[in-house]
Amino acid sequence: MNSFGRAQHNESVSNAIITHDLGKTYGDRPIVRNLDLRVPEGCVYGFLGPNGSGKSTTMKMLLSLVRPTSGEVHIMGRRMQRSTRRSILGGIGSLIEAPPAYGHLTGHENMRLVQRLLGLDQGQVQRAVRTVRLQEHLDKRVRDYSLGMKQRLGIALALAREPRILILDEPTNGLDPAGIEEMRRLLRYLAEQGITVMVSSHLLGEIDRTAQVLGILGNGRLLFQGSREQLFSRSTPDVLIDTAEPERATTLAARWSAVREGHSVRVPGVDQAATARLVSHLVQGGVPVHGVRRQEQSLEDVFMDLTGGRGL
Amino acid sequence: MGAVRAEFLKLKRSLSLVVVIALPVMAVVTGVANTLFSGQQPADGWHTLWLRVVVFYGLFPLTVGLAVLASLVWRVEHQGGNWNALMGRQVSSLRVVLAKTVVLTALALALQVVLVGGVTVAGKVAFDLPGFLPPRYLLVSLVIVVACVPVVALQSALSMVMRSFAAPVAVALPGAVAGVFLLMAGPSALSMALPYGLVGRATQLGTGAFADGGGVGAASVILLITAALGLTAVVVAGATAVLERVDVR
Repeated sequence: MNSFGRAQHNESVSNAIITHDLGKTYGDRPIVRNLDLRVPEGCVYGFLGPNGSGKSTTMKMLLSLVRPTSGEVHIMGRRMQRSTRRSILGGIGSLIEAPPAYGHLTGHENMRLVQRLLGLDQGQVQRAVRTVRLQEHLDKRVRDYSLGMKQRLGIALALAREPRILILDEPTNGLDPAGIEEMRRLLRYLAEQGITVMVSSHLLGEIDRTAQVLGILGNGRLLFQGSREQLFSRSTPDVLIDTAEPERATTLAARWSAVREGHSVRVPGVDQAATARLVSHLVQGGVPVHGVRRQEQSLEDVFMDLTGGRGL
Repeated sequence: MGAVRAEFLKLKRSLSLVVVIALPVMAVVTGVANTLFSGQQPADGWHTLWLRVVVFYGLFPLTVGLAVLASLVWRVEHQGGNWNALMGRQVSSLRVVLAKTVVLTALALALQVVLVGGVTVAGKVAFDLPGFLPPRYLLVSLVIVVACVPVVALQSALSMVMRSFAAPVAVALPGAVAGVFLLMAGPSALSMALPYGLVGRATQLGTGAFADGGGVGAASVILLITAALGLTAVVVAGATAVLERVDVR
């Protein structure tokens, strides 16, 4: 094996899902562009982005439900395409857009249906039901389920085949806070069992503490991919300068795009060296500088920054 | 086999069972009422009763009924996230298409069983006909069921592609009309090549109506069955290719 082949092999082994230059265009409208995803095995991968940023389309391409216009998808080292998808899909559980289930059947009948369809044994079905804690509600018709119960049943249906990868598109949509917390616990538990979980959301707060790796999509492009810590380090928080003469300070620091905020001056996008030059400039201009600090930044701020303020 | 068993489970609490009973019962009631209102006994006993019930039933109601059943069977797949789940499993497109065709064939068989039962009961109760329905009508019934298979395969393919419940049924209506015109024009390869024409032809078998000679010969039975199987293979192959190629919406 040459070095390129070995590198590709190693990458395939450690990453459950890899995409190369993945793109999808409808007509002349690009939905997803040049996506290079790396979803490590056995982690919860939070796939974030505002509504309409291309998350669902990407997930559909990962499952070959939609054919890419460009690029490739590799799942567990195998190229995903129409000719291979059915065999690869045996190792993937998915829930895309809305929870699947037949409303006129009970939860139990829906599980039995999947059992028959995929030739599963009773133990697999029972484990899936226990995992999502739905055993008390299996005799009810699914049309009478709450949305949270439908989501859990959808996950049970996906889990019953004991997949190595679980792809969940907005599973917390419409859930109340208790349901969201339950879903977080479930995702963490599944990852602990060695399942690679890729979960999308347009709400950062729903999955940022659950996901070990985050991928952030905006306008069909991957804006960021990495850990939470890496995400923080990518963003430069605003500098706040406390002064008795904020008006003069704002004028002197105009070339740094300074903005007055009460008795302070806010200066965005300046690194450490630029901050030193700015302070020196103000002091030389006779502005009394009482304090210089960085704005405390939440993950939401970073996310808003990356996505251009959409989706939160 | 698992896919077929799963399809049968989906029929539980389904309206399709209502269609399976109501449609042939209505056909029998209409045929019997026409005969009673005309004030005559069926001149040729069971043959006349069969002719009055089954020939009209085979021209329009059967085709529309099969179309409604296909729409019902596929409707659940177009709801919620079921289509994504259907296409996101390891079950091949061929198995998906075949399983739907098999379950619809079973429903077509059930339609015919109810129809035969209805004709038998009507013959005894309404007209006090001697004996029971002659066995040749059971053979004809079997041929009708086989001739239904390409229709259910085609309607299944249409209902698979169209999310609308009514649109595939709306396609079946002009299809049935075209079938009738072809049959009225006399025996032709074209009437056998159109699933709607084929099923109409099968329901006329042994009646002497339209293109039928009145007998149930081996040649016509073999021709009908061969045409039905050939058409089914073509339609199933086409539907599988479409399902395999199209993207989800």
